[in-house]
Amino acid sequence: MLATVDSCLLAGLEGRLVEVQADAGNGKTEFQLVGLAATSVREARQRVRSAIKNSALPFPLARLTVNLAPPEMRKEGSTLDLAIAVSIVLAHDGRKPPPRTAYLGELALDGAVRHVDGVLVAVRWLRDHGFGTVFVPAADAAEAALVDGIQVMPSRDLASVIAHVAGDAPIAPQPATAPSLPPSAEIELDLADVHGQEEAKRALEIAAAGGHHVLMSGPPGAGKTMLARCLAGILPPLALDEALEVAQIRSLLGELPAHTPLDWVRPFRAPHHGVSMAGLIGGGAGVAQPGEISRAHNGVLFVDELAEFQASVLQALRQPLEAGRITITRSGGSVAFPARFTLVAATNPCPCGWAGDGRRACRCTPAVVDAYRRKLSGPLLDRIDLKVNVRRVPPTLLANEPVGERSAIVRERVIAARAQELERQGCLNAFLKPARLRRHAALESAPRKTLERWAEQQGLSARGFHRAWRVARTAADLDGSDQIAEHHVLEALGYRLHDAAA
Amino acid sequence: MQPPDEASLHARGRWPPAPGPRAAIVGSRNASPYGEAVAEELARELAAAGVVIVSGLAVGIDAAAHRGALNGGGVTVAVMGTGVDIVYPAAHGELAARIIAGGGALVSQFPDGTLPRRHQFPARNWTMAAISDVVVVVEADQRSGALITAEAALELSKDVMAVPGSVFSPMSVGTHGLIRDGAALVQNTRDVLAALKVPRSEVLDDPLKTPQRLGFELGRDADGIVIHLSDTMAVSAAELARKLQLPIAEVVGRLTSLELEGAVRRLDAGYVRSLRRGKGRA
Repeated sequence: MLATVDSCLLAGLEGRLVEVQADAGNGKTEFQLVGLAATSVREARQRVRSAIKNSALPFPLARLTVNLAPPEMRKEGSTLDLAIAVSIVLAHDGRKPPPRTAYLGELALDGAVRHVDGVLVAVRWLRDHGFGTVFVPAADAAEAALVDGIQVMPSRDLASVIAHVAGDAPIAPQPATAPSLPPSAEIELDLADVHGQEEAKRALEIAAAGGHHVLMSGPPGAGKTMLARCLAGILPPLALDEALEVAQIRSLLGELPAHTPLDWVRPFRAPHHGVSMAGLIGGGAGVAQPGEISRAHNGVLFVDELAEFQASVLQALRQPLEAGRITITRSGGSVAFPARFTLVAATNPCPCGWAGDGRRACRCTPAVVDAYRRKLSGPLLDRIDLKVNVRRVPPTLLANEPVGERSAIVRERVIAARAQELERQGCLNAFLKPARLRRHAALESAPRKTLERWAEQQGLSARGFHRAWRVARTAADLDGSDQIAEHHVLEALGYRLHDAAA
Repeated sequence: MQPPDEASLHARGRWPPAPGPRAAIVGSRNASPYGEAVAEELARELAAAGVVIVSGLAVGIDAAAHRGALNGGGVTVAVMGTGVDIVYPAAHGELAARIIAGGGALVSQFPDGTLPRRHQFPARNWTMAAISDVVVVVEADQRSGALITAEAALELSKDVMAVPGSVFSPMSVGTHGLIRDGAALVQNTRDVLAALKVPRSEVLDDPLKTPQRLGFELGRDADGIVIHLSDTMAVSAAELARKLQLPIAEVVGRLTSLELEGAVRRLDAGYVRSLRRGKGRA
């Protein structure tokens, strides 16, 4: 007797349909699993046999063959367990499986259906490919029910799934997980809690409003990390589709909280400088897993101690900074992950951290400082629009109550500026290429002259010229102004590092 | 330590120079804009008065002193811690060439091909003191090599002079220490000429001339940003905004505008007052 059911494996954010066929025929009692199954899938034989027996279901005493199609695709993981078990039971009973139905889940030996990673991604893919019903582990049901247009069946154990399919005891479909409204002002770290640092705070506001990347340079202990953490709080809350994108990445990594799968707070990731290439951009054996840059998708990637990172690792950031996504090729095939993030980089001005401070003497030789700064220059810095120096805050200021705007107020301005940008040009200012910059950020004669005069006096490169221009556009948008005034240009020229005139 | 004999020094250029007074102008590599301006000014006026300016070809005060001497049309000698065929730091190749072209010399007690090594520089400092009649320390923090030159000068019975600075500046801790210990205070070029016993020259018609060299008229700067800036220590835009109670966006913009005018300079940690207008030295 023959039964065919469907399941789904993942390659990045793409699904791959797997057809599970069980055939119980005459012959010597045995259990064959064919179809390029990796070790983790081959072990399903033991799990499935025990799960069926311990669910008080009959295991066919026959020549049993389970085929996983398509045969050329390598299959890994335990997601197929449930589909394999269901196909075997149905083949034994000679029952027809329900149509347009897929099964996801790992089996425990007692028949319980266990969590698997990436359920959200798989369910979305199945819905888009014509499936009407999907059985998922009960633990992952809330996550799966974020997807509308497909019936989600929470599966506790194999016995209840079989009972439902046989029509004996139907399972109640999981109600749609209503995306709870974004909490109005849940801000983890408020700008108003940071003492001083007005310059850096303003740079972060501009970064949030225009989608610009930021570099902060300053001595250890100046508060760079704290400032970077504040950025997530002045960005607008995630929109529904953005929140779903974030949830998909977390789902792949199995990091989605079971009950509140949707989070409206922008991700903040701060990889250590020892991070490997695979850890940062994604990778791993077989099919690649998302890295830190994809975890930071729609949020903030904080790269502290920029000069301590391996040059090759930093170079790898260029593609995602440019394209907003990363393509990784591994033996298991090529996968793409989204990686659109705001980069906040931080560095000391020199190895000892005190160069140019004026209050404490720097102990580095000029050659060492030169080498250190050379490490910072190059193509990565070319993509960073805002560069600010951050100094230690004097202790007299620390003792006082901090004064300054709350993040919620800054966020209002950011939201308004972003709306103005999107209405005018359909993208944030940071993504304006020179041709579109000329069209959407035309300069009147006075601001143009100022920018040109500066460029000539400081030997600004073409890139530096456009960078200042883009930042001036954002400064004007924060003012609610359509025209870029001279003072916007002057302010924009203030956010650069002394030595990096480019 | 016994410094080598003048005649035994390796040299490129004219060595020894024509007989006459020699002043060493030394100081930290991490000089403040104030220190560099003083070194350049002193060297320029002394060189114009016929004094040979001796220094160490390092960045900061040394380079400013050599440059000042050349600008004053005078002769300057660079005492090197490497062989005279190896310019260290390499970025000073052009400066070294100008020194030779200007009738001065690169000299060293180390044979050709000697690479920079840490221990060679104190010895070089002794040589600087030995071939000079007076040592002027412009800026030095507590551990600066310039203090070794001053110590050597004392051992060799040469005059030690020091330029005062701000009491807040770490770059003046060493020079203030020297003054406290009896070094002569340098307020202007005349002080150094007097120590060298050079007859009063015409350059210095007014010995009490106070060094008023703000590169702009204060009236132009209506909100007084510039008077809150120092010429030794950088003040950040954030500090200025707090002091002036102005929005940070405005302060950053005005500072850029002042920078365009040449009235302020931007350093790593913030802004300083420019001591000389228009000379956009980076």
